[in-house]
Parts: sequence; C-alpha cells; structure tokens
Amino acid sequence: MTDRAMELVVEAGKTMLENGGEVFRAQDTMEIMARSLGVQGFHVYVLTNGIFASAESEAGELSAVRHIPRVRIHLGRVEAVNALSRQLAAGGLDLAGAEAALAEARALPEYGRRLAWLAGAVGSACFGYLFGGGAQEVITAFFAGLAEMWLLRLFGRAGVSKVFTDIAGAAVCTALCLAAAPLWGAGYQAPHAIIGALMVLTPGVALTMAIRDLINADYLSGTIRLFDALLVAGCLACGVALTYLIANSLLGVPL
Amino acid sequence: MMLQPFSLPGCLVQFAVAILATVCFAVAFQAPRRHFWCCGLTGAVGWLVYILCTAAGLSGPVATLVAALPLTGLARFFAIAHRAPITLFLLCGIFPLVPGAGIYYTAYYLLTSQETLFAAKGVETLKIAVALALGIAIVCSIPLPGRWSRRQYRGPKPN
Repeated sequence: MTDRAMELVVEAGKTMLENGGEVFRAQDTMEIMARSLGVQGFHVYVLTNGIFASAESEAGELSAVRHIPRVRIHLGRVEAVNALSRQLAAGGLDLAGAEAALAEARALPEYGRRLAWLAGAVGSACFGYLFGGGAQEVITAFFAGLAEMWLLRLFGRAGVSKVFTDIAGAAVCTALCLAAAPLWGAGYQAPHAIIGALMVLTPGVALTMAIRDLINADYLSGTIRLFDALLVAGCLACGVALTYLIANSLLGVPL
Repeated sequence: MMLQPFSLPGCLVQFAVAILATVCFAVAFQAPRRHFWCCGLTGAVGWLVYILCTAAGLSGPVATLVAALPLTGLARFFAIAHRAPITLFLLCGIFPLVPGAGIYYTAYYLLTSQETLFAAKGVETLKIAVALALGIAIVCSIPLPGRWSRRQYRGPKPN
C-alpha cells in the first residue's frame, strides 16, 4: 500500500518536473500528496533534474530516486497534476483513482503539427515587429520561423542532440534572413528579422527561472538552469556567427 | 531601443501584437486552450508597461522591474480565479520581457571578439533577468487577505 502511494507521489513529481514545473512546486505537490495518502516519514529533495525521496512502511525504509534529463514544457500536464494533488488533498480521490488521473495527465496530447508550426512562425513575426522591425523584417521572420520549426521537428524525430539542433536552427534562420536581403533591397535590417526568428530558441525563460531558483535559495537547481541557458546561448551564437562568417568570406556580405 | 513613436494607436498595435506573440508561446508551451486569453493579456500588459516606461526614459532593467509587477499581479489573479498554477500564466506572460535578445547578442559579441560590447550587453542582460525575477518574487510573496487566501490552495493543514 505504501509502496504504491510512494510510487504515485514520486511519479507525480517527475511528471511536474519534466513538463516544466518549478522545483519548489514539485516539492510542495509531493509533500501534500504524501500527506493526503498517509505516507509516513516522507522526505524529499528535488533538483531541476532529479528527485530523491524516502518514506517509512511496515516492511521498513522505502526510497525512490528519479532522473529527469530532459524537460519539454507542457503546461497542460503541470496544471493537471496540480489539480490532481488538490483533489487528493480535498479527499475526492482514492489511490486507484489518483493513479488513473496521473496516467491521464501524462497522456495529455500536444498540439498538432500545423498549429505548432503556425505558432512558431507567427510568434517569430510578432517579435520581429516588437523589436522594431518593419513589414520586410516581419515577413522574413515569419518564413525564417517556419523553416526553424520544420528543422526542429526533423531533428527531433531523427534524435539529433540538442546542442547540434540549436546550432543548425540558428544557422538556418540567419541564412534565410541574410538571403532575403537582395529581395528587399535597401532599408532591410537583417538583425531584426534574425532576432525575431531566434526568439523561439533563446533561453530567456530558462535564465529568468534560474535567477528565480537562486532567489529562492535553491542554489544547485539555479546553477543547473543557468548553465543550461548559457549552453543554449552559446550554441545559437555559434550558429549565427558561423553563417555570418561563411556568407562574409564566400559572398562578401558585410559583417 | 528601436521603438515606434509613442502614440495611442501605436500603443494599441503594440498591445495587440504582444497578445498574439504571447498566445503563440502559450501554444509552444502547450498551455490549455481555455487559458490562451489570460496568458495573452498577462504578456501584453507587461509589454505595454515596459514600452511606456522606456518611452518615459527609464533604463531597460528598471522598466522590466516595473513591468514585472502588474504582470505578476495579473498572473496571480488569473491563477486564483482559475485555480491553476501561476506558472501557467507567468511562463507565457514573461516571454515578451525575457532578455532572449540580450543573451543572444552577448554570446554573439563574445564569438566575434567585440569584448567591450560583450561586457556591456552581458551585464545588461543579467540585470534584466534579475529585475524580472525580483519583480516576480516581490509580487508572489505579498500575503493575501483571508478571504482570498482561503481560495488560494495551500494544502491540508499539517497535523
């Protein structure tokens, strides 16, 4: 009985972390769930990419460790697990019901391919505008964003590593935005289009969440996120700088 | 920054585009459909306050801090009203303000060996990220009066 409850609690925490929930939220949720299910002596330590928990049962000490190497943000699942813990605490669910609800939360679908592509492209165009681009830059950013989403999907399916995906995504964006320059003629500002299209990839949210973790005194989790953000930023800059260098040396595009 | 001249229609357009941009990222973050409008509004309010502050002559980090306050307040309001985790609205809503461009330019200047620009951009980016996180932390730590805090979920009382 305690085994199953423990498994449920740890899996709920894991689901939260791998879908983009914060460290302190995962910790709170797990403690609340354990208390509602009557798990005795429950202790948990949560990091950005790991969970360590222990509890007491009739048979002796229980422990559970989970590793979360990769985060894919899915806020719908975070909300579902949050609702599950809330229902459990209100006494509206038993163990079997909670297990079913967790399985349901983990199986929540993602948005379809067309909508995801459209969102990526329109988002890129919007940021092209917000960062001061005109019609030319906005249209270029739209198509660069579309190409980027296509590439992300292709590489994601082929299982290419995150580092290389980021470099290639940034390179494709930059190449497209630079290639559009002769079409638009004078007055076209390639950097505005590039940064609009790259906004989808930039680790701004990771950086802000890292600082939030640090302010919460979760130093280890904050550091992990901070380094993740730095790595992604380095990859993007690599892709952009390489493309600029190639365009400069082969075609004489000014840096 | 390269902002359009400050005017009422300009503000409205910026507001509308910011809603659209935030909703696009709500799709990318797989937020449930029923929360799209709330996410969009949260992001657009933050962005509008930010451009008004920069137009009034405040620096980037200060404007971000000021903008983060109503943004987080709104996110918290929606979180309580919809009984959803605040992350849902916050993560999408801060997207227009996060220093994505700053991070990118910092790394770009580093790679192209422009050390002065690299240092200036790097420090500004870090300041903006800290300002944003501080703004969020300030609003999130304001205790709510009894009537509201009972609606806000805190879990069962410990025995």
